[in-house]
Amino acid sequence: MSEALKQKYHNIVSQKLEDKQLRKNLLSVMDTLKGNRKKLIASRFYDWEALREQGKTLKQKNLAKLDTLLEKFESKAKENGFIVHWAKNSDEANNIVLDIMRKNNINKILKGKSMASEETHLNAFLKARGLNPIETDLGEIIIQLIDEPPVHIVAPAIHKNRYQIGEIFRDKLGAPLESEPEKLNEIARTHLRKEFKDFKLGLSGVNFAIANEGAIWLLENEGNGRMSTTACDIHVAFCGIEKVIETFEEASILNALLIPSATGAPVTCYNNIITSPRKEGELDGPKEVHIIILDNNRSNMLKDSHYYRALSCIRCGTCLNHCPVYDKIGGHAYLSTYPGPIGEVISPQLFGLNKFSPMLDLCSLCGRCSEVCPVKIPLAELIRDLRSERVGQGRKGVVGTDSSTQNKAEIKAMQSFMQIATNPKKWRLLLAMADFLSPLSKTFAPLIPGLKTWTKYRELPKLNGNLHQKVSKMQGVIYE
Amino acid sequence: MRVYFFGTCIGSMVFSNTCVNAIKLLQREGAEVIFKKDQTCCGQPSYNSGYYEESKKVALYNMELFKGSEPIIIPSGSCTGMMKVDYIELFEGTEHEEQARKFSNRIYELSEFLDKVLQVKYNDLGEKTKVTWHSNCHALRVAKCIDSAKNLIRSLKNVELIELEREEECCGFGGTFSIKEPEISNAMVSQKIKDIQSRNVEYMLSADAGCLLNISGAMQKQGVNVQTMHLYDFIAQRIGIRG
Ligand code: SF4
Repeated sequence: MSEALKQKYHNIVSQKLEDKQLRKNLLSVMDTLKGNRKKLIASRFYDWEALREQGKTLKQKNLAKLDTLLEKFESKAKENGFIVHWAKNSDEANNIVLDIMRKNNINKILKGKSMASEETHLNAFLKARGLNPIETDLGEIIIQLIDEPPVHIVAPAIHKNRYQIGEIFRDKLGAPLESEPEKLNEIARTHLRKEFKDFKLGLSGVNFAIANEGAIWLLENEGNGRMSTTACDIHVAFCGIEKVIETFEEASILNALLIPSATGAPVTCYNNIITSPRKEGELDGPKEVHIIILDNNRSNMLKDSHYYRALSCIRCGTCLNHCPVYDKIGGHAYLSTYPGPIGEVISPQLFGLNKFSPMLDLCSLCGRCSEVCPVKIPLAELIRDLRSERVGQGRKGVVGTDSSTQNKAEIKAMQSFMQIATNPKKWRLLLAMADFLSPLSKTFAPLIPGLKTWTKYRELPKLNGNLHQKVSKMQGVIYE
Repeated sequence: MRVYFFGTCIGSMVFSNTCVNAIKLLQREGAEVIFKKDQTCCGQPSYNSGYYEESKKVALYNMELFKGSEPIIIPSGSCTGMMKVDYIELFEGTEHEEQARKFSNRIYELSEFLDKVLQVKYNDLGEKTKVTWHSNCHALRVAKCIDSAKNLIRSLKNVELIELEREEECCGFGGTFSIKEPEISNAMVSQKIKDIQSRNVEYMLSADAGCLLNISGAMQKQGVNVQTMHLYDFIAQRIGIRG
């Protein structure tokens, strides 16, 4: 891991930790989301654990035959009149959108929520070419106004409270200063209405792509997603390859897991199931619907015996909500489109271990993420596995592993740990020394690496290491 | 009954009195305790940092050292999780997988062994007091042995257990995490300390030396006045065992 990169992470983490407002906002929202989820699961679900197991099994089953499902989805979708594109990487995906815009002489695109298009940095790509991407999701509008990326995969502007949002609307939209959610919504609505009036191109993500029917299913709470996908002439949907599953029944199981996990609500306000573009005789709906199926190293993840499970992710965000690190530093500190536990697992794999390896340290391996993930992805385990990739002891299939630099001091420390831990004589000597040095260790603590950082925030424990002496003298203990 | 006792690395380095108390708790129930003088560490420091090769060597060393069929009792949920669950994961698909599984069946966290296997009954000799409890993450989610610890506390008639609001949240120790990311770790432990303070108790108990070092060290630095104590020292004190 390069020092410069590590430093970059260190700087942003420190900066975020010092931002008291940010921490207050995050803590309060995360507490609410966690509380709502817990209450809902306890009161409305007969057997949540069994449902999780079902979700996990069906995702794994689908991933195991993803190639045939993708083919099936493509042919069914085409039969239904969709135009299906394949994008190997971000560039290809963005260029497909660009082509559609150029061909149709369109310079503005209205976007519903799509993390996949965040992943490809579509907005920046289009802006650099003089085109205008406009976000329509309330959270996305807020952060677009202040030119920030999403801080969370479900709630992009969750780090701002309503007073701050009121100020953003006042400063950027010239609206009167408000802080009531209804009023803020009203401002966003009025602001967007004029954009929606004559737009030609809408973009969205995909929550579930159903292979048997060749249909796509979108979830949202605000209605803007429905506008973006129906009131335009052309609709483009960004869809990661892992979103494809076999049946509607399976999608409804995942849906039942997703919403409670994400917000603690039983259902979303809008379920949009799109089965085709506008048909003959129909009064509305886009005439053309494009589905861009995005790989971006996902098929590489699929090949790995452990990491493939991260493709089960239904992007509910609850692992972020429950992460004790995320609620202290917020999503931006991860320096990636995907923050939090799932971000730590997929970012290095989608974008390169060499570029994202320091984010693997933003985790105490407490395992709470794995405990709450509705599709039972063993996130903590996978984060640890990626650490082993980082030190060259993994299965070595992750992109960017080759050019990832090693921490020589750490390697040496771990090797000597192993040597001492498997050599009882050396081990006992170390214990005896620790005990002997105890009064001195306090004085020298700031000089010993590791101890120095430890003692910055904590008093050093009193070493009390003569266990062997004590135990060997204990009555009845077989000391052998 | 003969049992092995594994004192853990932090146990033998910093919490040796706790280990002595833990052994006495076992002896009190008639167990014959074997202490292997060649015991070292469960291997978590290297494992959690992704050094699987080094960790395997430490794990094999332990499986060899504690061979036989006796139960292996550990006064730490975190090391219990490592030896009971993580060893299996470490050797998954290798020639040692079977060995790791058999080994796993012999591993118990002390409170689990006292509560579930020996079904102890304690006569609480102490004054009335209020305590709160910190769950170690590994004990909670990997070893899954927290219920037993709480059962033991609740069985003491003069002790009132007041649970933390953020019990399921990590205290920020995480082994090498607290050294690699000291600022985040400090933010985490500070939140934990606030929660502890809000409970108005005399003691904060935990059965994990790492978390105790972290929380009590940070409390001292911040000048917070709640006593922290290892569960086994607390029980020993309540039932009149002298450490
Ligand atoms: S990893 Fe699990 S918890 Fe996290 S976003 Fe994905 S589905 Fe939700």
